[in-house]
Amino acid sequence: MTISSTPLEAAAADPVVATTDPRRSVVRVLLRDRAAVACLAYIGLVVAMAVFAPLIVRISGWDPYEFDQSSIDPNLGSIPIGSWGGISAEHWLGVEPGSGRDVFARIVYGARSSMLIALSATLLTTVLGVVFGLLAGYFGGRADTLISRVMEFLMAFPALIFMIAMLSALPADDRQFLLVAVISVFGWPYLARIVRAQTLSLKQREFVEAARASGASRGQVVFREVLPNLRSTILVMVTMAVPGYIGTEAGLSFLGVGLVPPTPSWGQMIASSVSWYSVVPTYFLVPGVFLALLVLSFMVLGDHVRAAVDPGGRS
Amino acid sequence: MTRYLVHRVAGMLVVLFLVCLFTYVVFFVLSPDPAVQICGKNCTPDRIDQIRANLGLDDPFWTQFWQFLHGLVAGRVYGSGASVVNCPAPCLGYSFQTSQIVTDMIVQRLPVTAVVAVGAAVLWLFAGVIGGLVSAVREGRFADRFIAGLTLGGMSVPNYVLALALQYVFVVQLQWLPFPQAVPFADDPVQWFLNFVLPWTVLAIGYASAYTRLTRANVIDTLGENFVRTAKAKGLRPDLVWRRHALRPALTPVVTIAGMDFAGLLGGALITETVFGINGVGKLAADSITKNDQPVIMAVTLLAAFFVVVGNMVVDLLYSAIDPRVRVGAA
Amino acid sequence: MALAGLLVSALALNACSGGGGGTSGDKNSGGSAVKGGTVNVLQVSDFSYLDPARGFDGGVNAFYRLVYRTLVTKAANDASDPNAMVPDLAEGLGTAGENGKTWTYKLKAGVKFDTGAPITAKDVKFGISRGWDPEIGIGAPYLKQLLDAPAGYQGPYRSGELSAIETPDDRTVVFHLKAPFPEFDAVLSMPSAVPFPVGTGGGDKFIKDIVASGPYDLATFTPGSTIELKRNPQWDAATDPVRKAYPDNWKFSIGIEGATIDERLIAGQGADVNAMAGSVQTATIARLQTPQLKERVVKAPSTCLTYIGLNTTKKPLDDLRVRQAINYAVDKSSVLNATGGNQFATVSNTIIPASVSGHTDYDLYPSAGGTGDVAKAQQLLTEAGHPKGFKLTLDIRANPVMQRQAESLQQSLKRVGIDLSLNVIDVSTYYETIGTPSQQHDAAITGWCPDWASSASTFLPPLFDGRQVTAKGNQNLAQLKNDAVNADIDRIRAMTDLAAANTAWSALDRKIMELAPIVPLNVENRIYLPGANLAGVVAPQGDVDYGIIGLKDPSRG
Repeated sequence: MTISSTPLEAAAADPVVATTDPRRSVVRVLLRDRAAVACLAYIGLVVAMAVFAPLIVRISGWDPYEFDQSSIDPNLGSIPIGSWGGISAEHWLGVEPGSGRDVFARIVYGARSSMLIALSATLLTTVLGVVFGLLAGYFGGRADTLISRVMEFLMAFPALIFMIAMLSALPADDRQFLLVAVISVFGWPYLARIVRAQTLSLKQREFVEAARASGASRGQVVFREVLPNLRSTILVMVTMAVPGYIGTEAGLSFLGVGLVPPTPSWGQMIASSVSWYSVVPTYFLVPGVFLALLVLSFMVLGDHVRAAVDPGGRS
Repeated sequence: MTRYLVHRVAGMLVVLFLVCLFTYVVFFVLSPDPAVQICGKNCTPDRIDQIRANLGLDDPFWTQFWQFLHGLVAGRVYGSGASVVNCPAPCLGYSFQTSQIVTDMIVQRLPVTAVVAVGAAVLWLFAGVIGGLVSAVREGRFADRFIAGLTLGGMSVPNYVLALALQYVFVVQLQWLPFPQAVPFADDPVQWFLNFVLPWTVLAIGYASAYTRLTRANVIDTLGENFVRTAKAKGLRPDLVWRRHALRPALTPVVTIAGMDFAGLLGGALITETVFGINGVGKLAADSITKNDQPVIMAVTLLAAFFVVVGNMVVDLLYSAIDPRVRVGAA
Repeated sequence: MALAGLLVSALALNACSGGGGGTSGDKNSGGSAVKGGTVNVLQVSDFSYLDPARGFDGGVNAFYRLVYRTLVTKAANDASDPNAMVPDLAEGLGTAGENGKTWTYKLKAGVKFDTGAPITAKDVKFGISRGWDPEIGIGAPYLKQLLDAPAGYQGPYRSGELSAIETPDDRTVVFHLKAPFPEFDAVLSMPSAVPFPVGTGGGDKFIKDIVASGPYDLATFTPGSTIELKRNPQWDAATDPVRKAYPDNWKFSIGIEGATIDERLIAGQGADVNAMAGSVQTATIARLQTPQLKERVVKAPSTCLTYIGLNTTKKPLDDLRVRQAINYAVDKSSVLNATGGNQFATVSNTIIPASVSGHTDYDLYPSAGGTGDVAKAQQLLTEAGHPKGFKLTLDIRANPVMQRQAESLQQSLKRVGIDLSLNVIDVSTYYETIGTPSQQHDAAITGWCPDWASSASTFLPPLFDGRQVTAKGNQNLAQLKNDAVNADIDRIRAMTDLAAANTAWSALDRKIMELAPIVPLNVENRIYLPGANLAGVVAPQGDVDYGIIGLKDPSRG
C-alpha cells in the first residue's frame, strides 16, 4: 500500500491534456498561487538541507555520528537531559536517547538520504514508465501485449513483502542503489499505464495524423509530437510519485531493511523512536513532522500543478 | 462473454504461474544455502543433511520447481520413515524452522486478516464516498476545503506514525480503547470489536483520503456531463437526477478500484498488523522475513499475488458486466 | 549454551564461592500468592518449541518448568540457595560410582504423566534418548556429549534403545558416561532430560501437543498468538516441593510489540494487573520513577556477558599488543549508555560475570571512569607498527541496542585511528555467520550465558578451548588456540572439589584476559515490572521462576 496507486488512479481518472495557449507558463501561474509557493519553499528548504548538509552541520556544531555522553542521563536509561527531548542552544532539535547524537544533524543528513533515493527512484521510474508507456501505446500490437503483460505481472506482486524479503536477503553494502532499483522495478508500471492510456488517446488526434501525412518517421512522431503533449501528465505524475517514494523509503527503513546505520534516515529515526514515544515524544514528532510536511508539500504542489496546467478542468 | 471470461482466466493463470516461477527463482538465487537458512539457529550437520534430502535440494532447479507445483495441485510428502510429513493439496510448503505445514499456518491466520481487511474496507468506502460526495456537491465552499485538508493530512502521514500517535492518544492517555489484544469473538464480542477499532481506523485513513479525492473528482466529472445537464434541463428533481443518472457512473469506478485494493489487503496489511500485534497473514510475513523462514515467505507472496490477480479479474468482469463497451474490447 | 541477547538466561548451581550477588532482586511489594486465577504472560516472540528436546533458549526453559519435570532440577527462586540442584522426579541427588563414570538415581513413587500413566525409568531413558534423533534432538547438547552412546546412534525412533542408560527396575536409572563429570546433576536439569512415555513424540507429534509431567497441561495452542495452560490433575503436589502451582491457569500472549507490553504493564488495566513480561525496554526506565511503579520493579543482574570477540586469525588482530590496545581504547561507559545506562547494565572488565561463581574482580586495562585510555592504546599500536590505525569490520546483529553499541564503538576506536565498519547481519543468520570461521569477519559483538551458574565450566571452555574450534557452529570466536589454556581447562574440569575448581576458574579468567582475545563490555540487568496483583516474582540470578508465582487476590482482573 505504500506504493499507493490510488492517487495516481485519481490523477488518471481525469487525464490532463494540454489544450491551452503555449505562451501560458505553468511556472508563472504557480508562482502567483500562495499555496504552491509555500510548498515549493518547503521543498526547496529540504533540498537545500540535503545539498548543503556538511556545511550546515559545521555551523550547528555536531555531526550526525558523534555521541554526546553529557546530554543523556545514564541513571534513567540514557534519556536526554532536559525537557522537549533535550532541546538547547547546543542541540537545536534535541538529542537521540541512548547515544546523545544531535537530532538536527541527523535530520539534515536524513533529508539527504531520503531525497536522493526518492528523486533517483522517480527519475528511473519516469524514464522507464514514459518509454514503455509510449512504446505500448503508440506501436500497439505485440509490443503492447508484451509490455502490458509485464506490467500486469509486476503490479500483481505484493511489492512490499517482496521488497522486504529481497532487501533482507541481500548484503547491506550499497543499500541505496538496491533501494532505488527495487522501488523502481515495482514502481514504473503504474506510470507506464497512465502514459499508455494517454498515448492511445493522443494517437487518434489530428496533429499526429497530420505529422504522419507529412512524412515524419515514427520515431519523430513519437518524440516530437506525442511526447511534448505528455509533458503536463508527466509533471503531475512526478509530483505525485515523489511523495510516494519518500513514504516507501521511510516505510522500508522503518521495517529495518532500508539504509543501514549509522547512516541517518527519517524512516529509521521514526523506527527507533517507537519505544521512546511516550517518554520523549519530540524524538518521534520531529522526523514524523518533517516527513509528513514533505509529503504534504509535494501533494499540494501536485494538485496546484494540475490546476495550473488545465485551468478549465476541476480545481 | 464466455470467450472473454476464458481469455481472462487463461491470462490470470499465466500471470500466477509467472509469479510463482519468479518468486521461486529469486529465492533460489538469493539464498546461498537454503538448507542452512531453513534449519535455523540450533542447527547440526545431521539436520542439514536431513533437510537437503527432504527438500531434494540437490536436485536440479526444474525438478524442484516441478515438485513445488505438483504439491500445489496434488499434495506432497516430505521425508520418509518416522519423520514423514504428509502435506495435502494445496501444499504451499513446509516450514522446517517451526515444523508446521505452511498452508495450516496461513489458514489459521487468514480469518483475522480478513476481519481487518473487511472492516477497514467498509470504513474507508463509507468515509471516502460520503466525503467525496459532500466535497463535490459543496465544491469550492468551506466543507470542500476542510475535507480537502483532512484528506491531504491523511495521505501525508505515514500509517505507522499514525498508528503510534493514535495509540498514544486513545489508549494510553484517554483510555477510551483497550490495548489491542487477541480476544476471540465468542468470548467477548464487545471487546473483540473494540480491539479492532484502532487497526481499522489506521488502515482506513490512508485509503479513505485517497478515495475521497477520487470520488470527488468522479462526481464532479459526472455532474458536468451532458446527460446530467439534459436531465436537469428536462426538469427532473435533483435527487432523482442523482439516483437515476449520476450516482452509478460516478461510483462504479470507485467501487471497482476498492475491490482491487481490498484484494491487495487480503495479502496482509504488514505494517498495521505488526504495529498492533495482530496475528494475521501480514504479521506472519513480517515474522518469517525476520527469521528468514523461506517456505513461509514464498507462500505468503504467492497468496497475496493470487488475491490481487483474482481481484483484478473479478473487477474486470464486473466492469464488463456493467459497461458493454468494455466487452467489445475498446482499450 | 544459550547465546546472548536479552533472553532470560538458564539455570544455576552455586557452590557458594566467588562473588555471587549484586542487588538481590526481591523487592516485590508484599503479600504472598494464593491458589486460583490466571496469570498472563506477555511476550514479543513465540517459544521456539514446545518439545523440550528441541527447545534450548532461556525463554522457553522457564516455560518448560510449568509443564515438565526432570530427575533433578534447579531449586525454586525463593529457596535459601536458589542455585542448588534439588531432586525433582528422583528421590535424591545422583550417586556416582565406578570412578565417576556411572550415576544412579531412584524415581519417586506416585509420579504420573497427564495421561495417568506412571513415570517409570524406561520413560526417563526414552525421553533422554530422543536427543540423539537428528531431526528432534537439536536442543541442549550436554547429554549427547557425556553419555557413552554407541557411534552412529540416532535416537529411539531409528536405532532403538540407548545402551548407555540402564533401567534395572521400574524406578532405577543408571547412566554410563564416557568420562567422569562431577556436575552431572546439573546436566540432568536440562530440558533434554525430560521423560516421555515410551514410543510417543515421533515426527512432529510434540510440535502442537505435549505429554505433561508437571503441574500444568496444554489447554490451547495457537502458534504465534496464544498458549493456554490448565491444571494437570495427575500432578501430585506431595511429590513436588519445588513448584507451588498457585494459579489455575496460565495464558501466554505472543506477538505483542515490546513498547506496548511495557505500556500495558504500566497502565495495569483490567486483567493486566495479573500480567508479567520479560525485561522492560530501556525507554521505560525513565517512567518507572513514581513510588507506585518503583515499588513493583524487580531488578536483578543476569549471568550473561556481552563482549566483542576479536578474531585472532585476522591481521592485525593476531598481534597481542593490538588486541590490548583495543581493550584500552574502548569507551565502556559510552557503550553502557548505549545499552541503556547504569540501571540496565554494569560494566565488566572480567570474562566471568559477577553473578556466576568463579568470579573475581580485576581490571587489566584500566582507564579513568572507564572511558578508555587513549594514550596507552596509541602507544601500544605504535609499538605494534600501526601508529595511524587500521581498518576493521565488525559483525553485528540487526537489533537497535546492538547497533547503538556498535556505533558507540566506532566513535571510541576512531580516537586511535581504527576505522570500524559495521556489517549488519540479519537476526536469523547472525549466529550461523559468526559461528562459521570461514565467514566471520574481524570482530563481532555477541553475548554468552552459562547453562548453570554454579561454576564457570559452561563459560570459559566453550569460548576459549582451542580444540573446540569447529567449521560450523563455532563458539570460540576469537579462535584462541593456546595450549596452556587448554591444559588448564582439562585440569580444572577434572577436579571433584567444586569449590577449589571455582577458584581455579577465576585464575584462568585472568590468565585468558592477559591474552586479550575478547573485550568484555557489560553484564545486563533484568528489570521486571510484574502486575500489581502478582507475588513470587523474585529473580536472584536474573531469571524468574514461574513455579512460585501466583496471584495475591484471584478475584481481581
